[in-house]
Order: sequence, then C-alpha cells, then structure tokens
Amino acid sequence: MNVQVMYFGMLSETTGLQSESWTLNEQVTVGTFREKVEEKYPLLKGKKFKIAVNKQIATDSVLIGRLSELALLPPFAGG
Amino acid sequence: MDKTKKPKKVFVQGPINPDFVAKSIASHQSKTGIGAHALFLGQIRADQKEGGVVTGIEYSAYEEMAEESFHQIRESAFEKFDLICMHIYHSLGLVPTGEISLFVFVSSKHRKVAFEASEYIVEQIKANIPIFGKELVSEGGYVWKENS
Repeated sequence: MNVQVMYFGMLSETTGLQSESWTLNEQVTVGTFREKVEEKYPLLKGKKFKIAVNKQIATDSVLIGRLSELALLPPFAGG
Repeated sequence: MDKTKKPKKVFVQGPINPDFVAKSIASHQSKTGIGAHALFLGQIRADQKEGGVVTGIEYSAYEEMAEESFHQIRESAFEKFDLICMHIYHSLGLVPTGEISLFVFVSSKHRKVAFEASEYIVEQIKANIPIFGKELVSEGGYVWKENS
C-alpha cells in the first residue's frame, strides 16, 4: 500500500525532502516504519523525532492503515 | 461570546503587531460580563549561540495538524476553566528579535481563572503543537530551536 510521508523542520534537511510516497506492507506498525525510515536515512538515527499518523502522535505499536498520512516531527519550538 | 467551538485561525504571517493586541483588548469593551483579562506575549530573545547572537526565528509548522491541536487545546481550556473568551495567535515565517510571536488572550469573570488558564494554554502550546523554529544567528548560520 502507498502512504504519504512528510518531513518537517530539521528532518526535511536530513532527508532532503519535504514529502515522499512510501510503499509499505499491510500490517506495518509505526515502530517498524521508524526502523525502515532510519535505514533509508541513516542520519536520522540519534535524532529525536515523533511520528504522527493522520495528524495524531502515534506510539510504536500503532498499525499504519491504507491512505495514512505520516509525518516525522522534530522537537517542537512554538511559543 | 466566543464560546462557539468552531476552529479559529491561529497563524499569522510574520510578527504579531502590538497595535493588533491593543485592538483585541478594545474589542472586548462591550463584553461587560468580563472582569479579568490575562494576556501572554511571547517575544523573541537575543540569545547568545555559538554562531553569534539570535537575530530572529523563522517558524514553520505542520499546519493542518497544528490547527487541530490548537482546537483541542481551546476545547480543553474551555472545559477546565470558566472562561468567557479565548484567543490564540502564533506567527509563521520570520519574527525578528524583540518582536512578538505568540499572543494568548483569555477573559473571565475573575482574575484567578484568567491567570491559570493562560498558563495552561501556553504550556500546552509549547508541548503539543507541531511548530518548528530556526533561530537565525548574526554570523549567518542558524540553530534549530527546541522547547524545554
């Protein structure tokens, strides 16, 4: 299945992209996706980031559904 | 009154103008049930960094998620506190040092609720809204800001 993945703040510099399409197997968890994205972009390792699925911060056990919108979010800096 | 729970526009491009703050206060004169306003203004600080002094912050956000998160904060603040009005504005893009990037404005009958609600809202914004900031420094580089 295809999902859209967005990279924000410093992470868009790390990956060189603002967003891209990923092809994932069904039944993939956020934790597995985290491993895959760190494999594709080794510079992400050691960086702090959260993953949002459909605009909600997701824990590693959350399953990624079809047509999900994923986002890698570095530490927040609002205020 | 502003108690209707429709999503409101929070983001403004560039700094928040002090005239806008003054006009926001003035626009509450007709709401005579209000006895207390609390305003929080976040201002860009000229911190000393390795590459020089901070000259401004360039803000970006995951805007769709941020708008939903702001809406959740508004709803939870109205639930927790007996507020009459609430307004939140945050900058996107460049805000130079000394200018305002965050404006939280709450109104209630009495002071205690206004004080507590404004602190709650500011802390929620710092912790939960996907806003990112590049601190630009005087020698030409930048540092990514991280809320503590």
